[in-house]
Amino acid sequence: MSDEPPAVRLEGITKTFGDVVANEDVDFTLERGEVHALLGENGSGKTTLMSVLYGLYDQDEGTIYVDGEPRSFDSPQDAMGAGIGMIHQHFQLVPPMTVLQNVVLGNEPTRNGLIDEGAARERIEGICSRYGFDVDRHLDTPIEELDLGTRQRVEIVKTLYRGAEVLVFDEPTAVLTPQEVDGLMGLLEDLRDAGRSIVFISHKLDEVLAAADRITVLRDGRAIGTVNAAETAEGELARMMIGRDVLFERLSRETTPGEPVLEVEELRVDGDRGLERVTDVSFTVREREILGIAGVQGNGQTELAEALTGLRPVESGTIRFQGTEITDTGRRQRIEEGIAYVPEDRQTEGLVQRYDLVRNALLGNQTVAPYSMDGWLNWPRVSEHAETIVREFDVQTSGMGADATSLSGGNQQKFIVGREIGHDPELLIASHPTRGVDIGSIEFIHNRLLELRDEGLGIVVVSSKLDEVQKLSDRIAVMYDGEFIDTVDPDVVTEEELGLLMAGHGPEDDPTGNDPDTEAKL
Amino acid sequence: MSDGASDPGRVRTALDRAADRILDASVYERVGIAVGSTGLALLIGLVIVALAGYDPLRFATQLVVGSFGSERAFARTLQFTTLFILAGVAVAIAFRAGVFNIGVQGQLIVGGIACVLAIVWLAPYVPDGRIGGTGLVAVGLFASVVAGGLYAALPGALKAYYGANEIITTIMLNFVAIGVVGWAVDGPLRPDDARSVRTEYLPDNVGFPQLLFEYPSFSLVGLGLALVVVVAISVVATRTSFGYDMMTSGYQLRAATYSGVDARRMIVQTMTLSGMVAGLVGAVFAIMVQGYFIDPSGLGTYGFDAIAVSLLAANNPIGVVPAALLFGALDSASSHVQIHSEVPVQLIDGIVGLVVLFVAAPELFRMIAERTGLGGDRR
Amino acid sequence: MSLAELSARRGVRLGGLALVAVLAVGTTLVAAFDVPLERIVTVGFVNRALLAASPIALAAIGGLYAEKSGVFNIGLEGFMIFGAVTAAAALYGLGGTDPTQWHVWAAVVTAVAFSVLLTAGYAVLLIRYKADQIVAGLAVWFMGLGFAPFAASLIWGTVRSPGLTRVTQYSLPYLGEVPVVGPILFQQSPFVVITAVVVVAAWVVLYRTRYGYWIQAAGDNPEALDTAGVNVNRVRYATVIFSGVMAGLGGAVLLAHAGNFIGTGDTMVDGRGWIAIVAYLFGNYNPLGAAAAALLFGGLDMLQVQFQTADIAVSGRLMGLAPYIGVIVVLTVWGKTRMPASVGEPYETEE
Repeated sequence: MSDEPPAVRLEGITKTFGDVVANEDVDFTLERGEVHALLGENGSGKTTLMSVLYGLYDQDEGTIYVDGEPRSFDSPQDAMGAGIGMIHQHFQLVPPMTVLQNVVLGNEPTRNGLIDEGAARERIEGICSRYGFDVDRHLDTPIEELDLGTRQRVEIVKTLYRGAEVLVFDEPTAVLTPQEVDGLMGLLEDLRDAGRSIVFISHKLDEVLAAADRITVLRDGRAIGTVNAAETAEGELARMMIGRDVLFERLSRETTPGEPVLEVEELRVDGDRGLERVTDVSFTVREREILGIAGVQGNGQTELAEALTGLRPVESGTIRFQGTEITDTGRRQRIEEGIAYVPEDRQTEGLVQRYDLVRNALLGNQTVAPYSMDGWLNWPRVSEHAETIVREFDVQTSGMGADATSLSGGNQQKFIVGREIGHDPELLIASHPTRGVDIGSIEFIHNRLLELRDEGLGIVVVSSKLDEVQKLSDRIAVMYDGEFIDTVDPDVVTEEELGLLMAGHGPEDDPTGNDPDTEAKL
Repeated sequence: MSDGASDPGRVRTALDRAADRILDASVYERVGIAVGSTGLALLIGLVIVALAGYDPLRFATQLVVGSFGSERAFARTLQFTTLFILAGVAVAIAFRAGVFNIGVQGQLIVGGIACVLAIVWLAPYVPDGRIGGTGLVAVGLFASVVAGGLYAALPGALKAYYGANEIITTIMLNFVAIGVVGWAVDGPLRPDDARSVRTEYLPDNVGFPQLLFEYPSFSLVGLGLALVVVVAISVVATRTSFGYDMMTSGYQLRAATYSGVDARRMIVQTMTLSGMVAGLVGAVFAIMVQGYFIDPSGLGTYGFDAIAVSLLAANNPIGVVPAALLFGALDSASSHVQIHSEVPVQLIDGIVGLVVLFVAAPELFRMIAERTGLGGDRR
Repeated sequence: MSLAELSARRGVRLGGLALVAVLAVGTTLVAAFDVPLERIVTVGFVNRALLAASPIALAAIGGLYAEKSGVFNIGLEGFMIFGAVTAAAALYGLGGTDPTQWHVWAAVVTAVAFSVLLTAGYAVLLIRYKADQIVAGLAVWFMGLGFAPFAASLIWGTVRSPGLTRVTQYSLPYLGEVPVVGPILFQQSPFVVITAVVVVAAWVVLYRTRYGYWIQAAGDNPEALDTAGVNVNRVRYATVIFSGVMAGLGGAVLLAHAGNFIGTGDTMVDGRGWIAIVAYLFGNYNPLGAAAAALLFGGLDMLQVQFQTADIAVSGRLMGLAPYIGVIVVLTVWGKTRMPASVGEPYETEE
């Protein structure tokens, strides 16, 4: 390495939000002209760390050095002024404005008071030819008519136009198609070769290995270590990312699944933008069985859960519930027939924040007896229901009159789980049932789910936490890019193997994989 | 709840009380904003009166006398209150469910003309006298509800299924209603012998019975009808599955969808219900106040003022009643001021505008309350 | 790409819709009523349409700017009323019942100055105090409907002013005598010309200057503008005040064309502020489109006069509804309006 100071050095960064420690004493060094990946699971503190660098948050402790000088940024503009640019997951682009207009926004070249389009064009074309971007082909096209990959390149060009030396990419592949991902990888290399320094935030093992020179792994807000990409492998990274110490004890039990409750055949579901997010998924869930669906978030689990619960239309394939086809029935009918759903987003979906607990206890049950008879609500029964949930699920609250907002995340989640299983469903779909929940509540929710299973309920648990699916599931299906790439026996599989599956390495790539019998069960 | 239940129970009640206080505080806050808006608007009005060279004290007295000072004034106040209650509830329904129905004015016009037409057309086939009259009133009310509901369902459906912004479409439909009905009452619906622009008179036996008040344009039955609607809407909103669906959609649409609400259908249903109540305003206006229908451009802006009424009441159907009384009193006072005061009566319209303006900016009052320390604890 | 085609088609569809509407009205007239078109579309008609359109176009330009930047100024109607009554009061105050042309111009300037004050307060309520834009806008209308006739009563004892004076048309020698074009271009109200200048300037500023870029970004993705280092709320203050000033100017021009103030009913503004909103929606937020729509509505308005002179019994009142119905149809056929994404949302910078 040269004698020059690193492009960016973060020293001892600590950042807390209330009681939550997002970053704890993190050191991070970005050398000039390298692609440095910041790897970690959701909530491990990657984005927080980079937001501190970008001036969005003030760190509680620690120092930022840019080119060897200690700096502090009060705003993204400050950071931008020091040559640090960030490419967010949500692009900072104005959809109806053209590419050119977006790139120059805030730094418009003018002549006689009017925008000097010629000068702008020239400068953008210069940047494009220097780094090999094709964005200059679309300069006069409105952003909204471009695909997401091109939009991302516009965002990069915009950042370069503003003079960024350091580019931070926050989960840049989350919105891209596989082909666009390949393109991005090439661009990152070109940028590096042109002397730019790049931070690449990701939770995908294969991507960081493909893109980065060095990789720093974050877990629970701490930097676990930094490795050279050339000297590591996915197995090691997975281990660093997930850690062994948080594994739950897997409970031994006998499995005697009953009749099929849910049968899914060749299901295809589209996402919000019309792209196919679930591809040819088939599976069966029986009574007294928990099917775990593992996978890195954003691989189609959300869309699958919504399709199963009636919140999202199905493009093709069939869903049968207790032998009857329900592919096209609405959400309300499915609730009434006994499909309960613990939604992924408890804040916006699972609870009405400004309702008290009694009114929240009714959410979803407003047409279900005994809370509702012929359209009339039976509030005393709803009240009792709320009290039962609070008592049985040990929800810590000031009372039934408290708004949902006043509950902590864990208690909100316990309340939702309690409500959803409170009226004897036949099938429970639980999406990330313990996300953001404290340890005690996690234990409690897990135990309840296992009890319910033993009582005969069919359960689908969607989770990106390996330890959770391993602990709960009778079978684990791993979802990657919209498909079930494998189904494994949780008693046999190691979390390292699971990690590889979640990174998209199917059993055919990895002969040491799994018991073929488990697969045959599907 | 067997062992040691008493202790946590006591703690819980104490916490309950604390939570209730917080809830109360936000109700107080709402009432505070309403009273503050009205007070500030009236104060500015009086300052303007003084600046214009009149006696503000005298004007203030006339406001009170003109709205509550005599049986006639009081009845007139109640007449306007009745209309504002119904129109305010119509707005509150929609706003509560997160749909901006600015078209209550148009819906009440359509409801009113439908009521008059239904009664006038059916009258020849119905016996004279009390029973026939009551029947016609019922038919008129029914027609207004149906017409108002349909006229509101249209922008609802356009929003739900075509994404057309309901604020714009309902405002446009107001103009359309005023224009078409205005044209009709000046054309095909205008009797040959009519000197002014109007429809046929309603038959003599059609009307609400006079109780207590002698004032011809007000009947307690009308007010009673409005209050029944308030209670009915409150019951629907708080005690039925449909009401729960509606309120939840207004609070948090995604949670409502999660709970099985069909968001699109809900928009149409909400608009329809809102328009049904709005239609009723037109019917009450025709039956109780006017006795026929006039060019709607001269009707009074009940449907627009109702937005202020509803907001003043924080979109709560029960709260609409006192808010409507306030607006009723102001309207009633302006009838008095027009005759008995030198202060140009339009000032009161301006004051109403100020009330609405301040209601639109609750932050203003929060800020004032915080600065002056009057607001007490804030969450 | 199909998206590009779609958006191109959108523009075409909108223009087509307007064209179809005009053609339909025209054909109906000729076919059903056997009207010679040349008796309808006369030079006088075009002039009257331009006079009627200019106040609408001015207010529309203002409203368009505010909405482009993310603030729905639904109070245009109210600001027009205030503009008209202020201009009338100033005209009377300066020149009594016999004011000169200089007084007309001074009155218009006074109305504009007053509008600046009024809208500055309004902008603070909307932006600083995050007032509900719909309700506050309606409030301005109510206030206009109340305070304008109130002021008229204080000044003149009734809600109507006495006859004051109109702005005189300029007339260029020789050029004004050229047939057809002469009377339209060279014998015209100066305010029509000013309106045309404002329209073109508004287009240039919006699409060809940095301020225009900022306005568009403030309405469609304020965060993007903020991260580009431009203060979003400052942009919005500017556009809201501009919108009120343009509406006030529109009201003043209306008065200068009419020559006296009328405060009965919906006042002399009589829905023109609402039409202005419709005009810029119709014009797809493009100043030139908005002006064209204003001209269309001005023409529709003046068509009634033509019908009377041509003895055609079509209700002017029903004809006047065409723009409103047109808007509903456009919103429906077109689906979601090209409304800027962040209209109505107060913008707060992240701390």
